[in-house]
Amino acid sequence: MSTRPIVAASPEALQIVTFDATMEARIAELLPRYPTRRAAILPLLWLCQERFGWISPGVVRAVAARLGESPAFVEGVVSFYTMYQTAPPARYVLQVCTTLSCAWCGGRELVAHLKERLGISFGEKTPDGVFQLVGVQCLGACGEAPVIQINDDYYENLDIAKLDAILDELAGRS
Amino acid sequence: MEPVLLRARGVSDSRSIATYLAAGGYEGWKKALGMGPDAVTKEVLDSELRGRGGAGFPTGRKWSFVPKDHPGPRYLVCNADESEPGTFKDREIIEYDPHQVVEGVAIASFAIKANTAYIYIRGEFVRWARILEDAIAEARQRGFVGKNVMGSGFDLDVWVHRGAGAYICGEETALLESIEGKRGFPRLKPPFPAVVGVFGQPTVINNVETLACVPHIIVRGAAWFASIGRPKNTGPKLFCVSGHVNRPGVFELPLGVTFREIIEEHAGGVRGGRQLKAFFPGGSSAPILTAAEVDTMADFDACAAAGTMLGSGGIIVFDDTVDMVDVADNVAHFYAHESCGQCTPCREGSDWCMDILDRIVAGHGRPADPDTLLRICRFSSAGMTICPLGDAFALPISSIVNKYRSEFERRIASATPLPQKKQPVLPWAGPCPGFGI
Amino acid sequence: MPKLTIDGHEVEVAAGTNLIEAARAAGVAIPYFCYHPYLTVVGQCRICMVEIAGQPRLALGCSTPAADGMVVKVETSERAREAREAVMEFLLANHPLDCPVCDQAGECLLQDHSMREQGSEFATHMTETRRTFPGYERRLIGPHVVQNQNRCIHCSRCIRFTREISGTAALTYKSRGNSTFIDTFDGSAFDDPMSACAADVCPVGALTVREFRFRKRSWKLLSTPSVCPGCSIGCNIFIDHHERVVYRFTPRENPAINATWLCDHGRFLAEPLNEQAYLDPQHRTGGQTIRVGWGEALAGIAAELKDASGLRVVASANLSNEELFLARELFGRHLKGEIAVPVAPGEPRKMRNGKGEWLHATDPHANSAGARRLGLDLVDGEGLSRFLYGGAGLTLILDPGAHPFLASPEALQLLRVGTTVVWARREHPAAHAATWLLPTPSLAGNEGTFTSSAGAVQRFAQAFAAPGTVHRTATGAMSPSCPTIAVPWGPPGEARPLWLTLTALARELGVPPLDLASPADVFALMARKDKAFAGLAWETLGGLQQHESFRERQHVG
Repeated sequence: MSTRPIVAASPEALQIVTFDATMEARIAELLPRYPTRRAAILPLLWLCQERFGWISPGVVRAVAARLGESPAFVEGVVSFYTMYQTAPPARYVLQVCTTLSCAWCGGRELVAHLKERLGISFGEKTPDGVFQLVGVQCLGACGEAPVIQINDDYYENLDIAKLDAILDELAGRS
Repeated sequence: MEPVLLRARGVSDSRSIATYLAAGGYEGWKKALGMGPDAVTKEVLDSELRGRGGAGFPTGRKWSFVPKDHPGPRYLVCNADESEPGTFKDREIIEYDPHQVVEGVAIASFAIKANTAYIYIRGEFVRWARILEDAIAEARQRGFVGKNVMGSGFDLDVWVHRGAGAYICGEETALLESIEGKRGFPRLKPPFPAVVGVFGQPTVINNVETLACVPHIIVRGAAWFASIGRPKNTGPKLFCVSGHVNRPGVFELPLGVTFREIIEEHAGGVRGGRQLKAFFPGGSSAPILTAAEVDTMADFDACAAAGTMLGSGGIIVFDDTVDMVDVADNVAHFYAHESCGQCTPCREGSDWCMDILDRIVAGHGRPADPDTLLRICRFSSAGMTICPLGDAFALPISSIVNKYRSEFERRIASATPLPQKKQPVLPWAGPCPGFGI
Repeated sequence: MPKLTIDGHEVEVAAGTNLIEAARAAGVAIPYFCYHPYLTVVGQCRICMVEIAGQPRLALGCSTPAADGMVVKVETSERAREAREAVMEFLLANHPLDCPVCDQAGECLLQDHSMREQGSEFATHMTETRRTFPGYERRLIGPHVVQNQNRCIHCSRCIRFTREISGTAALTYKSRGNSTFIDTFDGSAFDDPMSACAADVCPVGALTVREFRFRKRSWKLLSTPSVCPGCSIGCNIFIDHHERVVYRFTPRENPAINATWLCDHGRFLAEPLNEQAYLDPQHRTGGQTIRVGWGEALAGIAAELKDASGLRVVASANLSNEELFLARELFGRHLKGEIAVPVAPGEPRKMRNGKGEWLHATDPHANSAGARRLGLDLVDGEGLSRFLYGGAGLTLILDPGAHPFLASPEALQLLRVGTTVVWARREHPAAHAATWLLPTPSLAGNEGTFTSSAGAVQRFAQAFAAPGTVHRTATGAMSPSCPTIAVPWGPPGEARPLWLTLTALARELGVPPLDLASPADVFALMARKDKAFAGLAWETLGGLQQHESFRERQHVG
């Protein structure tokens, strides 16, 4: 599987955010789907995260202005949902499921191995900015436990060997 | 039984509309347009189809709650949030047969006269969101979705709306809040969504699997559907089995087979030659069942009679190496993480349970802990909270404490006191800022 | 109108009334935190649980409408009491034991409800480490509001206030579950013209007012009903004071004008009420300024008034109706002087009433409408300047703060010509030009009525008087609104309200109808003589109501 790395814009670049023509075209597609502009908040935040890599306060301000909401309101929405990144993420975000079936089918061993191999704990990034480790709740793939989601992609039926191979490949590409 | 919902599993190029049409796809949609909304609703009502998302509410009855004379728009929402631990059936359907979902959405929309449908899919399901978008685009291209569908005069738009990482958005009213662009806070009920739903308009929310049943009901008839299972517990059900089994996966079986049959025959039994100890029958929000209860029938009413819930049909199996206190702790972590934080019992209670269980797991349990857990659970359920997330942690945790009390007591008996942090003499941090007064 | 029974008391209420309000009407108190009569219902705190006969689950008082024949049990339901006791336990589980250092103590709903809802034998089962929000324990989030997130019970009142009332939507929840906290966008300043209302609506000490921090225990405060002097909208306030020091204004409920709100501009006019630059009457004579007694001052001024030709009176749109009426009658009618009321435009102010309608004002004076209705001449700065130029004899300045022009060098030059009498409280250049200077108290030391821009005639009561200053009604009784307890602290000196001086002058000048003992008596005369006040009665005027429904504070007096 060829997981695309995240390319995160720098905090400086994301202080003042304007939407270019491509973004505006996609926004124009989005807005007619809903009777309120506010309903476009989640889809627009996804567009921004795809485009910029993460949601900075500047992005929040731009989304708020575009949809006629207060920045505080939009920031409140961003902070509720775990998948919106509010700090520049690493190239590969390793979202490890820690719930029930995954935990009891080898997930905990994978976590221990990752912490050791990468030298980081949950919520941290490797110094080279390649990997970030996040503990998540049930990913809805329990039959293929243990499961790790790397950026957009599900990696299933893992064991330490398979995981190491995946990380080698991703690290090698970096 | 011959597969219905998963008949496309294993068929090559099963996702394409050509394959779907060749297998008789969208015949239900055509037939429904000819029947008219009331007849469609009646057919679904007669089938006794009950919601497959967890609540098990009769689907036809939910559709009939939409006010007949409402002058404004109505909405259909397909709940593809699938975040209940142990549940992975909706993505199975979408992976192999997304058009089945689109067709079900179309028929349901028509039945409640909704011209706009949203498929709310959890943010993590990036691949399956794209699969659905592709299927909708194909359907639109062929005229099954869009203006004046097949010349019927009925307009239908279907949009995929991605969530962003919140289990609570699987609760129907929190889902509506999320579509509206807000934090996923469940709403007070009444009013119910069928009367006041998304954007204040009548809305029906149905699970993916529920909607996937609908084309089959229309094509083959309510009587056929009701012939599978038993009265009030009809139709095929996708059971997800995970945990300590040899063959985890999704199994399509009639409602009412026993959990023993599902676990032993279809999922290959407990792995590694070990013994079954306990299992969740319907996701982690259901009271746990012990090995002695494995002959319970897997349908809505039988599970309720056994003091648990069929819920989403997500069966999580634990073998005899598992410590049930650890399971309770893992469950508490899940709900504390997912609690939206609105209402007092769930916000405080889920966190409190997690802290107590963490402490017991770390070897510092206290004799009062099991009863404290039961007290917290008692006052976080049965109407104490805005939504059933309170019950969703209270029921499993209290069932584990009640059924495996000896494991708690054993841990507590060998516990040591929490290491007392020696209170440091803190350096003076300076005078109170005073804030310029 | 549904008729229902609550804890055995029968009551009839308007259709749509929720059970909390219905119970209030029946004399039964259902506790609440997140409910607020002027904000949307969210049903989040879960403390208002009651039992409704025939319903298996407990119901919420805030979101359940009263229905005909409903039988509700609040105190008489064991199930409901147990549930509320448990909800209290949940709320207190992570709440810090801050009462000794928390400003909210004494007016804290968490204190109040826990005393009632948890039996004296109750002990919490919570023994875990409390969750805290490091860095958020004493955080100045805006110019007037201090946050302590550890105390927050997540009722969302503050957020709903900024979304539904002030409209800034400046506050929000962040994060989720038990790590939810309140914040502004990106931690920026809480920019809201009514920001302190967020601290008002906060039922606990999570949001408190900076200016009040650590200054006075709430139960020491006396609350005197008054009217905000900040603009012409006339929001109703309490002056909260102790030992003749004003500590704060808090809003007083008036659904027609300000609901339960007060803007920051008006609210923070409280502190300046404590300024008293002039303590005793002063007389400049022979190049010197000497302090004199009131008797001598009144006699001297009366003598000037008797002889005066060309009497000019600069009144003020900040004066009460009673004071303006007395000035008009005494100086205008009897002494044939000229009176001008200078007005100047101010910053735009706004307020939301109980129906959610916006009221606007650019008039910074509390009583322009009163002056206008009494038929007085309202002039702008230019008009005032011409008015002063015209005077060569006796000039009376009833309030130097009436217009910025009065502080100008030009005005002072004019005032130095002839005899000038100035009534003043705060330091002002015009005082230096005065021949006679009389000290007046602040709003807190006065009593009377203002007329709002919408035409509401509203009473404001006297919080305290200068020591030694007692006024008695015609029957000789002490005026009931004035608790004249001689105390050795608080504003010293002998400031006397303007109305008292004007009636005393009337007595000196032999104008018996204006020799009145109290503002109430002045009002009675005004109501008889003046069309603008016809049919109104002091006792039944609006403006002093203190709806128990919203007095969520306990205090003495």
